[in-house]
Amino acid sequence: MKTTTKKWLTTATSVVLAAGLLAGCGTSNNNNTTNTGDTNAGGNNATTNTGTNNGGTQALSGKLVIWTFFDQVKDMAEQFHAKNPGVTVDVKMFPGDQYQTKLLTALQSGKDVPDIFDLERGYIGKFIDSQFLTDLSAKGGDDLVKDYIPYVQALGRSTDGKLKAISDHSSPGGFWYQKDIAKKYLGTDDPDKISDMVSSWDKIIELGKKVAADSGGKEHLIQNAGDLFDIEAYNTQPWVKDGKLTIDPKWQTVYENQLKIRANNVDAKLPFMSAGWGNALNDGSVVLTSMPAWAGFMIDNKDNKANGKFGVAKTPEGFYVGGTYRGIYSKSPNQDLAYEFIKYIAGTEWQQHNLEKTGNMPGNGAVYEANLDTYKSPFFGEQNILKPYYESVKAMPAIQPDKYGEDILSKWRKAAGDGIANNSSYDDVVAAFKKEVKNTFPEVSVD
Amino acid sequence: MGSKINKSYYGYFFIAPFFIGFAVFGLAPILYTLYLSFMKWDGFNAPVYVGFANYTRLLHDSFFYQSIWNTLLIWVLSNTPQLILALLLALILNEKFIRGKHFFRAVYFFPQIITPVTLGVIFSLMFDWQTGSINKILMYLGIVHDPVNWFNSPWWSRLIASAVICWQYFGFNMIVFIAGLQSISNEVYEAASIDGATKKQTALHITLPLLRPVFLFVFITSVIGGLQLFDAPLMLGDGPGNTSRTMVMYLYETAFKNFDYSYGAAVAYGIFIVVMFFTAITARASKLKD
Amino acid sequence: MAKVLTRGILYLFLIIVAATCLIPFYSMIITSTHTNSDIARKLLLLPGDQFVDNYNRLKDTVNIWRGFGNTLFITVISTLINVYFAALAGYGFSKYDFKYRGVLFLVVLGTMMIPGQLGIIGFFKLVNSLNMLNTYWPLILPSIHNAFGIFLMRQFADSSVPTEIIESGRMDGYGELQIFNRIVLPIMAPALATLGIFAFIGKWNDFLTPMIVLFDNNLQTLPVMIASLKSQFTSDFGAQYVGIVISVVPVLVFFSFMSKRIIDGVAAGAVKG
Repeated sequence: MKTTTKKWLTTATSVVLAAGLLAGCGTSNNNNTTNTGDTNAGGNNATTNTGTNNGGTQALSGKLVIWTFFDQVKDMAEQFHAKNPGVTVDVKMFPGDQYQTKLLTALQSGKDVPDIFDLERGYIGKFIDSQFLTDLSAKGGDDLVKDYIPYVQALGRSTDGKLKAISDHSSPGGFWYQKDIAKKYLGTDDPDKISDMVSSWDKIIELGKKVAADSGGKEHLIQNAGDLFDIEAYNTQPWVKDGKLTIDPKWQTVYENQLKIRANNVDAKLPFMSAGWGNALNDGSVVLTSMPAWAGFMIDNKDNKANGKFGVAKTPEGFYVGGTYRGIYSKSPNQDLAYEFIKYIAGTEWQQHNLEKTGNMPGNGAVYEANLDTYKSPFFGEQNILKPYYESVKAMPAIQPDKYGEDILSKWRKAAGDGIANNSSYDDVVAAFKKEVKNTFPEVSVD
Repeated sequence: MGSKINKSYYGYFFIAPFFIGFAVFGLAPILYTLYLSFMKWDGFNAPVYVGFANYTRLLHDSFFYQSIWNTLLIWVLSNTPQLILALLLALILNEKFIRGKHFFRAVYFFPQIITPVTLGVIFSLMFDWQTGSINKILMYLGIVHDPVNWFNSPWWSRLIASAVICWQYFGFNMIVFIAGLQSISNEVYEAASIDGATKKQTALHITLPLLRPVFLFVFITSVIGGLQLFDAPLMLGDGPGNTSRTMVMYLYETAFKNFDYSYGAAVAYGIFIVVMFFTAITARASKLKD
Repeated sequence: MAKVLTRGILYLFLIIVAATCLIPFYSMIITSTHTNSDIARKLLLLPGDQFVDNYNRLKDTVNIWRGFGNTLFITVISTLINVYFAALAGYGFSKYDFKYRGVLFLVVLGTMMIPGQLGIIGFFKLVNSLNMLNTYWPLILPSIHNAFGIFLMRQFADSSVPTEIIESGRMDGYGELQIFNRIVLPIMAPALATLGIFAFIGKWNDFLTPMIVLFDNNLQTLPVMIASLKSQFTSDFGAQYVGIVISVVPVLVFFSFMSKRIIDGVAAGAVKG
């Protein structure tokens, strides 16, 4: 097995090389500037670099291997292949928890390594400063993301500001609601009015009390006090500054609100993506479900029964959940072909296709702009859902990922989540949290 | 006999594969782990020598101590009922009048051959507070009014982990006990009944003492196995405040989830010392009784 | 009368314990035949008709049968290696009076005391440097060293392999390995079967090692697939249950045919140990 892999790698390299040389003959004059900064490429790739980096008019050929945990990458590969029949894209999908370990292992060993690999928002911070990722800035990647939603492009940058990975989507969230349920309990199903009614946590708590009282405790306004973690996660200061743990004072307010939400029966205590949560979303026993745009598959739409029944309103602050970033392996022999692929998914053509096909929100602001007044999603009938999403994602602060952020956030969730369940004081939560952080990251100073 | 002495060096060839295999796949990894435990290595950069830093960290790591405590608790909670149940069932099934012995033995043994991971998943689904059948049954019977969030409670988390283990292994230990009981010859019992011993006396003064070696076997295997609990508890999760995280789960999380391989190596040696300590205590205690 | 009552109580106890053993499996099979919303809302006691739907969703993401085949392959090969080399070494210790035999045997027993996870991080690195990551070698080759098996086999060889038969083999001009393969191994068959059962169950359930050394989904083993169901089908309980049913039912069927042999084998092994 090993030998065959090597064999085709060599073949693929030579094919790309040949393609590069051929293409290079025609267009050698306009590429040199973009390539000078590429220090990662080995000797024989330098030749390849002269060719394939331009507009994509010439026929590309070769083979790319992509590793991902995400099913829809297959469609991405098909679309790219349809446009570039000379390129075979082999998508290897590793669903589930172990993808990260597998990826790191493969990268360490340097054997059977993909040309392109996906990184999830949750752990991109650990990889972003490693030597495994090609510097896309050096290949002119900054140009690809110039129209991007600020937060989306920032998440693909390393600490020194270089672009290392690009996502093809943004993942804005909002309050999803069933219109008839909203009418019954909130008196309206108009997204703007509902957005106003829930524009602050205080309003939500008051409204939640009313919903609980009106329904005799059967109906809840929101799914879970824990949803505030998602909503506030990236609206707060980063957890580690100059090697020191900092807890944004905002978290105290958030925690107090969470306690109030729990104490006043505002939430249904259903964890995000759990079975009960999915049920509540579908049977309407929770009025407002805060969820990202990509989670539409959680809605049971057998025979299109859910079409036109939903609305989406703005949360008190904008938020996003997750995100898949794609980078090029620094020692990949197919650097330039891989860059073509990245370029394709960063472009408007694919993102438009993806929006229409799956409803995944684009990462490119230009795609938002183009569809702002026209895009309709079956669930939401006539509502222009791109508008609230676009407004909220544009406002999200652009923060580069670091190796601690997500892990520390999840420790906060755990500590504060336990705190909400047991109605602990904020000080107790902070103490438990600090203990966890100190233990996992002894190098971070915790006072 | 003469030729046996001539040929005796052949024995080295026969045992060589074991030693080679152990050297490569057993000893080398252990030594490499030891080496790593003196380094700082996160998988992204080259390892750097740090001396005893990982061990100093381990000595002050309250989560490690907590995981030892959790492991011991789960071990006690699972093994006590398990051994009692196994012995009780063995004694009953050893009675002559019981019919369908084989059926019962087979049913009790069955959980043993199911993969622990699968059992962990089955139990986590059964005890899922929203969809699990346990809550459904309890509510149906009117025992509880609202679903119980089992894995939100430290003690329920530990008890469920213990229950899985107890449930999986009692059948195996029962088989061992039965085998032990059957190895006691009938003459002993006959002698006892001639001397006019009651059933209870026979059990207490003859059967149990004769089962001692079997007890020892069961006990030592369950100490070694019990302190390395991993698969099933992993599927049930860490529990609130990590209250059902076992030592090996902590090792796994440190090394393969946080990618702190070097500290994980130190944790592995910490576990080794803990296991040795308790094995030694068990062996000692069983000797003292002689 | 009292006797009947006592027996009744004993039987009742046996039946209750038996039910506790089987109910989780029953419940799991039943649950796998219902829709997600029914699983979430209702207490399910009778079979439904959604098994195929659930199965199809599972099949789209996880190639569970492939995992089954992989595990079977690895387990069978490992068991054969395990049993053969254990018998070889056990026989060697039993019948050859070489120097340091006692000490070496103690070393073998000593290796049993080492907890399995101690070397796991190093094992991972070793496999990596041997170029064996993502292959079956690291799952199969370690079966060569099985201290418990050697112990068991030595016990058996001491008691049941007559030295005279080896001598007569030598008279017939057999080499030492030939004697072992042709004469001794058949005599040791009962012990081989016992050890085989232990080895098979152990390997079938192996989880941590395949999880860290295998990346390719097509190579992955069943326990790892089952473990990943939870993270892949967060709220698709139907598919998760089907996955479990598929992993358990074949074992159940196999066991119901082989239970007597398996249990007798385990009992024999345990008493020896």
